[in-house]
Amino acid sequence: MKYILLMSGTKAGVDTYVAWSKKDVDAHMAVLKSINKELTESGEFVGTEGLARPDRAIVVRGQKAGMPITDGIFPEAKEFLLGYWIVEVKTPERAYEIASRISVAPGPGGVPTNMPIEVRQIVSPSAKSQ
Amino acid sequence: MKYILMMNGTKTDFGEYAKWSKQDMEANVAFMRAFSKQLKDEGVFVATEGLGWPGQAKLVRASKDGTPITDGVFPESKEFLAGYWIVDVESPEQAYKIAARASAAPGPGGAPSNMPIEVRQVLGSHSDLGL
Repeated sequence: MKYILLMSGTKAGVDTYVAWSKKDVDAHMAVLKSINKELTESGEFVGTEGLARPDRAIVVRGQKAGMPITDGIFPEAKEFLLGYWIVEVKTPERAYEIASRISVAPGPGGVPTNMPIEVRQIVSPSAKSQ
Repeated sequence: MKYILMMNGTKTDFGEYAKWSKQDMEANVAFMRAFSKQLKDEGVFVATEGLGWPGQAKLVRASKDGTPITDGVFPESKEFLAGYWIVDVESPEQAYKIAARASAAPGPGGAPSNMPIEVRQVLGSHSDLGL
């Protein structure tokens, strides 16, 4: 079964992250990289991507005269996707376990961020072929 | 440049979708299949996935001993990712044009749904965040 682990945050949350020291960011990234490596070794890793900052997000709704209608204004409370992992696991519980490890990746001063990770099953027909 | 085109909706939106007639839903799915194929033919397709219903979504944190704490309660207003496409294009404008096509996917009665598609650049590496 494929699961997607979603990391999301508001614009304010992202601003907080951007203010982290380089050392804190490096420590955070080192843990995420080691999780990716372990998942690759266990054969559970499918993919991971990071998204650009929310202040560059655009929403497209319909088109007029063949041109897309774009808007960059979102509600304050909007949670933006910041990045995700896709894992191939035997049970949902295993997906939750991986998510909880991502959740405790260190934040400022090495303290676990405890950021919430949303876990969703992937149901597309392509799920087996990709 | 890689861009991700996301379809989001609240539980209410998903509930509305579940009420569509079989015919309307099939037309929508047929559109989505054809759309992915067009993107492949145009050489911009990278990936697409559809996600399970929000009712099965879990929010995971770790407890003090490291075991996962799962929670399935979300605010009413929470937007859930329904599915996405990743495309590799020359410019953001090209990504917006593709998003506009997705937005025109047929809804009830075959009328364009005009659903909002969130467009975000996918980073090549973490340093692209400019930290």
